[in-house]
Formats: sequence, C-alpha cells, structure tokens
Amino acid sequence: MQMETVIFTENDLAKYPFLKDTAEYMKKLGLKIEELENPEMAPILDRAQERVKEAILSLGVGKKRENHVEIPSFPVAIMLAIATKNSFIKKRYALAEAKQAFSDMQFENNERIMAIAADFDWNIALNRDLTVPLEFALSFIDYLRNTTHLRDKNWKLVNRLLANGKVYLNKHDVARLLQEEVQHRIEKKLEAKELPNFPEKITVMAEHLLELAREKIGKQEMEGFPKVVSQSAFPPCIVALYEAASKGRHLSHVGRFTLTAFLVNIGMPPEKVTELFKSFSDYNERLTRYQIEHIAGERGSRTQYTSPQCSTLQTHAVCTGSDALCRRVHHPLTYYRIKLRQRTNESPKK
Amino acid sequence: MASREFIYEKFADYYSNSSLNVPPPTLMAQREFGFFLLKERAMVRHKSFMGIKDLRRFLSDTVPSDVYHSCAYYENPSFEMDKKGWLGADLVFDIDADHIPTSCNKIHDEWTCGKCGFAGKGITPETCPVCGGVKFDTKTWPCELCLNSAKEETVKLVDMLEKDFGFASKEIRVFFSGHRGYHVQVEAEAVRTLDAMARKEVVDYVSGLGLALLEEQAPEKPVAGKRRRRGSSVFSLHDFGWNKRLKAGMQKFILNATRDDLRTVGLRSYALLQNREAVLSRCLEEGRWNSVKGVSVETWRRIARHVKELESAKIDTVVTTDLHRLIRMNGTLHGKTGLLKKEFPAERLTSFDPFVEAVAFKGGTAKVSISDAPEFRLSGKVFGPYKNEVVELPMAAAVLLVCKGRAEVAEK
Ligand SMILES: [Zn+2]
Ligand SMILES: [Zn+2]
Repeated sequence: MQMETVIFTENDLAKYPFLKDTAEYMKKLGLKIEELENPEMAPILDRAQERVKEAILSLGVGKKRENHVEIPSFPVAIMLAIATKNSFIKKRYALAEAKQAFSDMQFENNERIMAIAADFDWNIALNRDLTVPLEFALSFIDYLRNTTHLRDKNWKLVNRLLANGKVYLNKHDVARLLQEEVQHRIEKKLEAKELPNFPEKITVMAEHLLELAREKIGKQEMEGFPKVVSQSAFPPCIVALYEAASKGRHLSHVGRFTLTAFLVNIGMPPEKVTELFKSFSDYNERLTRYQIEHIAGERGSRTQYTSPQCSTLQTHAVCTGSDALCRRVHHPLTYYRIKLRQRTNESPKK
Repeated sequence: MASREFIYEKFADYYSNSSLNVPPPTLMAQREFGFFLLKERAMVRHKSFMGIKDLRRFLSDTVPSDVYHSCAYYENPSFEMDKKGWLGADLVFDIDADHIPTSCNKIHDEWTCGKCGFAGKGITPETCPVCGGVKFDTKTWPCELCLNSAKEETVKLVDMLEKDFGFASKEIRVFFSGHRGYHVQVEAEAVRTLDAMARKEVVDYVSGLGLALLEEQAPEKPVAGKRRRRGSSVFSLHDFGWNKRLKAGMQKFILNATRDDLRTVGLRSYALLQNREAVLSRCLEEGRWNSVKGVSVETWRRIARHVKELESAKIDTVVTTDLHRLIRMNGTLHGKTGLLKKEFPAERLTSFDPFVEAVAFKGGTAKVSISDAPEFRLSGKVFGPYKNEVVELPMAAAVLLVCKGRAEVAEK
C-alpha cells in the first residue's frame, strides 16, 4: 500500500471497539473476569449493561463515556450478551453496535475508512480514476460477501460500476458495507460455545436483560402457519408449479425443490407432498420420499430447507412474473403469510 | 447390442492408447470424480484419485462413457455428501444450445411421444399434440448453427469476465463441452469461497437480470407543479459495467436500425431514422433524451431493453450457483458424440472448430446402417444427409452416429 499506515488511537478504539487493536489494549489493561465485582470496575460494568440494554430497547448503544471506561465496556458487554444465552438479544446487540459504527464512520476521512477496511482484510483502494466521481474501488469479491443479503436492488452487482474486478463506491456505501462486517464480526464473538463461569453480578444482569427482551419480543408475536393449507393464498409462482406438478408436467430441479420446500414450510405433511409428485412420468416413490423427507429435515443433515427467495426464483426463471402483492415481498412464504392474514375475515373454505 | 459393444471397444481403445491426452485437473486429489460405466450402465460417484496415473488406469480398466469431476474442492472427496468437508469451488459457466434460441430452430432434433408414439422435429413441445402426453424421447444433434450460437454467448461471457470482473485471461479456462456447447471455468483462488448467493449475483450480472435503469417506473418523473426540464441528463450512461455495454450496444443499434428493427423493439415512430447523428450525440452521449422530436425516454428504454437481451450472456443458471456440481472432465470422451471435451485458449474462441479439434478417433472406418441423419461435417469432410442406408464411414463419423442413436453397426 502506498499510503502511510493509520495507527488507531484510543479515541478510535472508543468509537470502534470491535477493531483487532482492542485485544492489545485489553491485554495491557490485564482485566480479569473475577475482578468485575470490584467496586472500581462498576463504571465499566454499568456502561456494558447500558450498551446491551439500549440495543434491546432502541437499537442504539447509548452515549459514549471516557475512553478508559468506554473501551473495556465493549468486551464486557459481549460477555453479558453471551450470558443471556438468548439469540434475539445477541443478534440485536450486534446490529446495534454495527449501526453505531456506521453512523460514526461517515464522519471519518478516507484514510481512516481505509484503515478500518484493512482491519477486515478488504481488498480496497482509493480511486485514482478521475472520470469516476467515487472515492473507493473495492474488489467485487469483498463487495459480494457483504451485499448478497441486502435487499435493495441498488446493491445488486448489475447496478454497480464494475470494471477490472473493482466496484466503485462512495464513502457512504463503503461505510454501509463495513457495517455488515462489524455485525458479522460481533455475531461471531457472540457464538462462543464454551461458557465461562460468570460472576454472580453478570448472571443477575443477564437475567434482567432477558426480562427486558421478553417484554419486547412478547409484542412481536412469533407467527407460525395455521394447520390448514390454503391453496388460494399461494403466490403465482407456486400456483404455476403446483398446477404443473398435478398435471404431471416436467418440472426443473429448482422448480421441484421450490415447490416441495414451500409446501413443507407451510406445514403440508410430507406424505401429502409425495402424493402430488405421483403423476410424474419419472416418478420413483422411494427416491421422491427420500428427497421430500430430506427437505423436511427428517433425514440426513436434519436441517429443514427453506424455499428460495424471489430473487433466486427470478435468476432460475421459476418466477412467473408478479402480481401487486409480489412487488411488496421478497419471499414466496411472506406472500403466503400476508395473503392468509388478509383473508382472516373471509369465511374459511377448503 | 453389437452397437453397444462397438462403442465399448472404441472407448476402451481410446483410453488405453491415448490416455496421456487426459490432463490432470487442478488440485485433483481434492475433487470428487464420477463416471457413467458403459458395461454396468450405472453411475458411480464419490471416487477420488491421488494422481493422474491412478485415474488414467481407472479409465482404461472400467471404460466409462462419461467422466466428471466436481467443481468443488473437498477435505474428503470420497466421503458421502454431508461429510465431504467443502473447501471451495471453481466458478463455472455452462453454455448449452439447449438454453439458447437458435436460427436453426433445432429442426435437427427429433422427439417421440412416450405414450402414443407420435413423432416430430424441432423443439420438443410441452404436451403431445395428439394424446396430450408429457413424456418424450428426444434425439438431439450437435449442429453448426447451434454451436455457433453457443460460441457467441461464450464470447460475451468471456468479455465480461475479463473487462468487468478483471480476471486475467490465463485464469479463464474455456472448453468445448463435447456435445452442444462450451464450458468456462475460473479457477482463481479469490473466487473459490464465494457462496451460492454471491455466485447468483454473478449469474444475474452476466444475464443482465435486475438492471434497475430498465425498470418500469419512469425515473424521469416531472416534479409536481414544475415544468419538466427539457433534456435533463438522467439518462446519460457512464463508461463502466453494464452502462458501458448498453451504451455501445445502443450506438450500434441506432447506427444500423431499420424500420423493421424499430418495430421489433416496439417503437411506432421512425423519427430516429432521420436523425441518427443527433440521437447519437445529443441523446446517447449527453443523455438529453427529449431533445430530438419524436424521440423520448420511452424510446431509450425500449432500445436499451432490446440491447440488454443482445449483450447478456445466456448461461445455464443452475450450474453456476451449484456448489457441488459435477462437470465433464477435460480431455475425456462425451458418451453422446464420441467427441472430446477440449480446452483451448480464450483468445482462439472465434477460430476454434469443434468438428475438427475435438475429434478423438482419427484412424480406420466402420460400416453403419443409418436410420436418419442430417448433413454434418467432421475433420474437414462433409457427410450426409442419410436416410435408411448402409455406409462405410471414417471411424469418428461412425462413432458419432452410433452414439447419437442415428445408426447401428452394420458389420465389423
Ligand atoms: Zn402422444
Ligand atoms: Zn441447431
């Protein structure tokens, strides 16, 4: 790299405590987990608790404090989130920290942005091509790693300036993609398989946070699908696949997988799904049963497969074109869920 | 039966005498191999080989009609799928005439209804026009027009991989598939760990799928209460990625368009034809699409959509997104043709001739009884068309017809 290396200051670490240098800082500090109960650690513990609490309540992380409190409060907050053993809290905390980093990064100069990107091993350079009014050039590999799950069509590679393997981006977009990296890194930290023996103070705090989260999640009811399968709520792509299957018409591999996974996902029993494929000319009972049970997670890897999202169906030409509701959703299952809800007032028919 | 033995014998000859022509795939010890065995008529998968010598011995011992290896690299390539330990995969593209509309209309392909026996030529219908059956036996043919169309798609794909994705030409390996198309394989280290979603984005890119600027909602909405600014430059295209491709394609279209072309893209006004220069400079270059009378943003969009279809590369989308795909191995015979899967440098794409360079059987002749075959060319000679006749042919031509089910061996 041709530019001078940026050395992160303590102010930087207070803003971006997820950087690798924080580990070095903590090592020098020599903080031990048992010492958290010492009264002089109270401000750190308090700030750590605030981080997670704010994340649950408002997707923020609260106001920054002095560096010697702010920096160590991050690893402690991580520990606290792990101690809750709750995936909602963990996810939300990672997202909150990442969002905070995003809003801070927008005020940084290009060199500092580059330094943070380097912390994530990005292949990125400052753009020297004056014909492009964008400051950064990022390898398309790093770009894809951080955009494929973003839904806005502007993030699709096809809508980007791609040349020579580089995607040209402005500072806002680079910061937005770094947000994804930050979230991912924190989620990784929160995955910790082996839990240490937490001091009692931590356990109690975790318990309080759990209670707070329960109130919060309680409002967002976790909706499952009703037992009865409602064909009239199928999205157009599934209607087409379903009709083709019942007439014994040939389905592509993707088409067959989509239909099977969709029906299994909305709660159709695997035997029923097998029935549907019976009219296929290349029908093989044993094989079909096997595949369906595999998708249903009753065999092999034991993970239940989810039917592909709309964009995947478009790629493989399974999408049949969309109706008005399609344009509002990104997944056939969401379409089904909304359509069902819209019809709750109508009388149920078979 | 004699025909099957004939093929077995020829393939066995090839693999015992010419197996040095079978080059080792990159990191072959980490790949899964699969074979369709001629004698057993069965698929064997989950094989692995430490080196090319072992594999060549296996080929001459078992004589497969088709040889495949995984695009993926595994810790334990011979284990069952869930336990293989996926390490990465090459980025592969399959361009097959089956997925491309071609000028021959596939008139050389034959289909027979499995239910009532009704037969026809051309693209296989969805349902039988006589009995409504849905299962067909098809006999395809590797025709020159089909292969040329596939080649044109390959040229576009390789251009995008080089200019847009920035791969060095030595990282882009191009192969004739041995049947009706081409394979393109990128083995660069950087692409190996791309997940299925990332590969899907690459597919969408080369297919031009999801281009926001071609979408329905007019990006140039007049702001309420304000007069629309004449010739605003919302539509100027820059010189990167798809913008560049659209711009170049539109330039070509505007320069050469006939009335028929305009009708094809759905335009009723021919104003563009009288003002080509102005449209090129003011509309296309400066993006002022309302500055020429009779030409509008809608003109732009219709031409751009048409150009997108021309400029995108038509690939088999599922091959590229499949992280565990088996693909035919370079230097091996294709069971449907007796031709080789053959690598050649990307810069030779336009001059590569599969009907010369992929020929495996170079000596001898065989007498075959041909039911039906279109005219074809092999190693510089033209054969056919044939209908219910017995002919003595050079070995490669005889093998091709027998492999394609168009002929039986008459005598040895
Ligand atoms: Zn029929
Ligand atoms: Zn053809």
